[in-house]
Amino acid sequence: MPAASARKPPRRQGSAAAALRKWLDGHRMTALTSVRRLLATPVSSLLTVFVIAVSLLLPSLLLALSASLDSLLDGVQQETQISLYLDDSVTDFEAQEVSNDLLTEPDITTVRLISKAQALEEFAASSGLGEVLAALDTNPLPATILVTPVSTEPGRMTALAARLADLPAVTSAQVDSQWLRRLEAFSRLVSVAGGVLSLVVLLGLFVIVGNTIKLAIENRRQEIQVIKLVGGTDAYIARPFLYSGVYFGGAGGALAALMQAIVFTIFNSPLRELFSLYEGELTLLQFGGIDMAALVVAGIVIGWFAALFASLRSILAMQP
Amino acid sequence: MIKFDNVSKRYIDGEEALANINFELSKGELAFITGHSGAGKSTLLKLILAMERASSGQLIVNGMNLNRLGRRRIPFHRRQIGAVFQDHQLLFDRSVFDNVALPLQIAGYHAHEAGRRVRAALDKVGLLCKERLNPAHLSGGEQQRVGIARAVVNRPSIILADEPTGNLDPELSAEVMGVFEQFKSVGVSLLVASHDASLIASLNYRTLTLDHGRLVEDRAAGYAGSENAGR
Repeated sequence: MPAASARKPPRRQGSAAAALRKWLDGHRMTALTSVRRLLATPVSSLLTVFVIAVSLLLPSLLLALSASLDSLLDGVQQETQISLYLDDSVTDFEAQEVSNDLLTEPDITTVRLISKAQALEEFAASSGLGEVLAALDTNPLPATILVTPVSTEPGRMTALAARLADLPAVTSAQVDSQWLRRLEAFSRLVSVAGGVLSLVVLLGLFVIVGNTIKLAIENRRQEIQVIKLVGGTDAYIARPFLYSGVYFGGAGGALAALMQAIVFTIFNSPLRELFSLYEGELTLLQFGGIDMAALVVAGIVIGWFAALFASLRSILAMQP
Repeated sequence: MIKFDNVSKRYIDGEEALANINFELSKGELAFITGHSGAGKSTLLKLILAMERASSGQLIVNGMNLNRLGRRRIPFHRRQIGAVFQDHQLLFDRSVFDNVALPLQIAGYHAHEAGRRVRAALDKVGLLCKERLNPAHLSGGEQQRVGIARAVVNRPSIILADEPTGNLDPELSAEVMGVFEQFKSVGVSLLVASHDASLIASLNYRTLTLDHGRLVEDRAAGYAGSENAGR
């Protein structure tokens, strides 16, 4: 009998906790339904996830590469030195005096003297041309003083080098920062490219996810119309599609993270080999848990927003 | 409960579906709407459901002027109304049970409470044994009764039915009308569009007759309808 309870409100207790539980129950059910729907068409769902993953992977790789270059540059910059090549006529004793004087300069932190004999020795050892060098009558290598300046800022280093080059014992002073600046510029370029690509990919993902959701809504047009007729709100109708967007984005982000981890693992060992030739002791391409989580979160946020826009547009257009 | 005050509905192409409709349906009243096909019966029901907006005039349902009903309020307005559609509007991707449970799901009922109500509603229309079937496997008459169960499951204060007995044999028609009368007896207002003249005549309720969008006759309940049975 419909009798007395004909218009009793559905909620038994009016407490906020009960309302919250009801709301959560509803969400849990929608979330599960949404998973089931995606799994019902596994191939197309996987394809969508794959497309999202690849789109996310490209800018992510670039940005990570730029970040790695930056940290690499930070490490190298602290070791930047100025090489002072001494005149051939300077004796070992005089060279020692010059280097002691340099130590008192406020702009200089460390000084290392490499005498003519030491230079020859080191060169013979590293080049393997020991016998050829032994056959020479004179030592062709100049004595060198390696100076580590306080400031590694390019302008101040150049000024310091110019001043040191004017010392009578010094024939030339060389700042080995040209290649560094090029690398810096390159790193900036990579970072800008990563940023631009991120924007393009953001737009692309909006279109991809939005279109997928729009199609899903078209396929369920009949159901949506019935739900509207029996009193379903737009939010209720959109909810499963928002979950789909979140799943697509999250899965795409996770797959992108996995692919990036694989790419970095593959590239890291040859890169380490390359840089060990430059006496670097660096882990180059870093990709940790936080970066992975960031990719997944980025995917989820993009997926949710794209689904929100697509579903609002489609559902508002359906006016029964 | 429902009050039409000089309501007209014109479509963009100029076709006038309803013209200057005036009538009032009170709480606990059952009325038939009859008329030839295209007379405006369905349009009238659509206006009450806020599926269409009146072009002019005032339509007041449950104390609410539908002209002032915002888009966001429409779903809540519809939850007070149980509607039976001519084309059933069932979903074939789920069972009979889930179809009937849909309004309760939307309103956020607990699964347990919803299940109890769905079975009660299905029992009323004699389909309890078919709750697990897909509605696509049911006959037209059975589908219609699933639609009726869905309309009443939420215990609405108003029930609208568009040709609810269209696919039913006389015996089932009488049963469905019996269900409607039960709801009437507990204060639900019902508006039933039908061109089943013999059914209307046999029940002797208030009857509104539409002709080309005009309300041409408003015959009160209890009228001995024998001489007008052929209409």
